[in-house]
Amino acid sequence: MKIVGIAACTSGIAHTYIAKEKLVTAAKELGHEAFIETQGTIGTEDELTAQQIKDADVVIIAADIKVGGKDRFQGKRIVEVPTHIAIKSPKALLNKIEEEIKK
Amino acid sequence: MMVSDVLKSDRIALHLKSDTKESALKELTELLYKSGALTDKDAFLNDVLTRESISTTGIGNGIAIPHGKSANVLETTVAIGRCEKELEWESVDDKPVNFIVLLAVNENDRTGVHVKLLSQMARKLASEETCRRLVDAKTAEEITSIFSE
Repeated sequence: MKIVGIAACTSGIAHTYIAKEKLVTAAKELGHEAFIETQGTIGTEDELTAQQIKDADVVIIAADIKVGGKDRFQGKRIVEVPTHIAIKSPKALLNKIEEEIKK
Repeated sequence: MMVSDVLKSDRIALHLKSDTKESALKELTELLYKSGALTDKDAFLNDVLTRESISTTGIGNGIAIPHGKSANVLETTVAIGRCEKELEWESVDDKPVNFIVLLAVNENDRTGVHVKLLSQMARKLASEETCRRLVDAKTAEEITSIFSE
């Protein structure tokens, strides 16, 4: 799968970044490709490009707050989860999404 | 810009005696206060506990990352504590915690390099291997060097 996503947590200091790392690592290990943008206290980093979004099979929003720029994903399949799900079991999350997509 | 700019060895305690989450957070807050990072330790602890009540900070593998973002923080920094006893703590893997990374962020430090360093430290904690090494670390220097890799 080609995945794009956003990670954002309540205080924007820690969970955001752990969630991103976990998703990217799990994706790599499962043979997927993932680009995750972080929206934290220090602002937006690794902002998704229009091409990355266009190519993506799915959008994962791992967030505990409202994220910015969701309009970029119009027409895309979007999965929204709290950050702790991405932190707890990123592989299970990706496997479940893959299953759903194949249906 | 280096992790050692925010992670000072006098803010690392490897043998915390606390046997509850609240008491461990208090011990670490004291460590931050004594080393001049806070203006008001009670207010900071209160911020941290308020954050705790919103959602779980136990990220699994025995590690928790409580944090306080407030005007009572003079210097954006971190205190690290390892407890001799395992603490009951809301955690994503439902396991107890004995390694605490307490982040203290100055509320006005929004684009600061120090917040960025803290986020880099958090990023390291996504690796289970890194978590294991931290929990097993013998010295403060070892912990600093793992975070600096």
